[in-house]
Amino acid sequence: MNALELDRAARQRAQQDLAQGPDRGTVWTRRTFLHESLRQGAAGAAAFGFLPLINTLDIAYAQGQSFRFAWVSDTHLYPRNVNTRFVDKAVRAFKEVQAMNPPADFLIFGGDLAQLGDPVELQLGAELLGEIKIRKLFIPGEHDWYLDMGATWNRMFGASPWTFDHKGVRIIGLDTISHAPDFWTSRKYSAHERMGHMSVLDGTLGGAWSAVGDKQMQFISSTLSNWPKGAPVIIFTHTPLYEYYPAWNFWVRDWKVVQELLAPYSNVTNVHGHVHQVLYNEIGKMRSIGMLATSWPWPYAPEGVPTLTKPMIRADPGDHFDGVGWASLQSGVGGRVDNEYRMWRKTVFADAAADSGTDDNRNQVLSPRLSDRL
Amino acid sequence: MNNPKRHVSLVAVSVAVLLLVGYGGSGLHAHKEPHTAEQLKAFEDVFLEQVRLGDDLFHGDPAAEKRMNTKLSRTGMACAMCHPFASDTHPHEFPKFQEQMSSFATLRDMINWCIEKPNEGERLKDDSEAMKALEVYIYWSNRHSKLDPGRH
Repeated sequence: MNALELDRAARQRAQQDLAQGPDRGTVWTRRTFLHESLRQGAAGAAAFGFLPLINTLDIAYAQGQSFRFAWVSDTHLYPRNVNTRFVDKAVRAFKEVQAMNPPADFLIFGGDLAQLGDPVELQLGAELLGEIKIRKLFIPGEHDWYLDMGATWNRMFGASPWTFDHKGVRIIGLDTISHAPDFWTSRKYSAHERMGHMSVLDGTLGGAWSAVGDKQMQFISSTLSNWPKGAPVIIFTHTPLYEYYPAWNFWVRDWKVVQELLAPYSNVTNVHGHVHQVLYNEIGKMRSIGMLATSWPWPYAPEGVPTLTKPMIRADPGDHFDGVGWASLQSGVGGRVDNEYRMWRKTVFADAAADSGTDDNRNQVLSPRLSDRL
Repeated sequence: MNNPKRHVSLVAVSVAVLLLVGYGGSGLHAHKEPHTAEQLKAFEDVFLEQVRLGDDLFHGDPAAEKRMNTKLSRTGMACAMCHPFASDTHPHEFPKFQEQMSSFATLRDMINWCIEKPNEGERLKDDSEAMKALEVYIYWSNRHSKLDPGRH
């Protein structure tokens, strides 16, 4: 077996060994309820047409204090003169975050604010984010980075990694997107050409660009060195900290090292963007939750989804507000944390295979593109 | 990203094929003689050039769109943004009843639906070169899938 196949075998073994799962003191349930995120009275309901149903994933910790936070990511903003549909959806999400009652303690923006890393796009994002008055934290996505290698992003939104403690939870934000192998220098690509290649999910030149990297491994190790092994840790990343589908960088390439590093800690939750879809997985003692985009939904990986994922329903491509949204995560009494997918539609999870958008995948065998390699 | 040299090579390949099969209508008498290796290579080259063109169009390459005189999107969305690797296009399931159109549809019908509705672009003629290129890229990427017409 090659390295990739060995990795996959290791992942399958880890998934099969439920005894190695997250702390059994953690409870995971699903429920659906009408939520009231559009707290703008009749005007808000009229503007958006309905009060959406929210599907909820609940995690209950044995210890901790109550707090709530919001996640928005993958807005993929173009300048207004190119496209306003992504702007409209970002505005809607930001208004809903600001309308949360009680307010969230903070917002985590999970990367890909811009589509092509253009300072105009990033500035537009900053203006739209001005709607939100609570504390804001940022991690970058690849679309924010490869025009100027993160210079504008870091200046406007701050560098990663970072960490802080909040009501009994150690929170870490990582950069998992800046580690692409240099495919541009030898080809004499311009900055825009480099960004263009990196902005294509199924592009081949960027290769396995997603990684945590040695420096951030040391950062994690140092940050957690004085943290009790059973206490909650939340790690925010743009890309998932496990191997889901490497061809689209739905992973970090050094995920096995990450798993080994975090193995002593029994209560780790990774919240990530990039996949633009409902996703859940457990590897070893770490759980991972995939978040929606506000821009558009990606299809599920051709090889299928993690066993523990209950797939989202097929999105209607004729409705650009469908299949997208944001998330509210709340730590309740004793540290209880709810993850609510705020998708702007009535039904979020699919019960029947024909409704899931993954049923067809069993008969879908795809090939990497060839045009961008020439 | 598009390679401008590719357009020149497509013309060159096409000319080479015409020479190999014999210009002036001798293609009407195909299969009368065993194929040469050069002929088979030339056929493959023509095919792959169309796959590459379709790949470029599918990924929103501006140069390819300009060359083919198409406007596939006005929203900033390219086909590949919802269909990386041409996933979830399911060409092997067509023709079938297509829910969005409420009618029995071909893959070309669905391509045009996506161009006109989500992408707000300009519909392609069914027999246009751009439509054939998009179709061949989608089929090529899904070529190992099993035929299963009618599946929803």
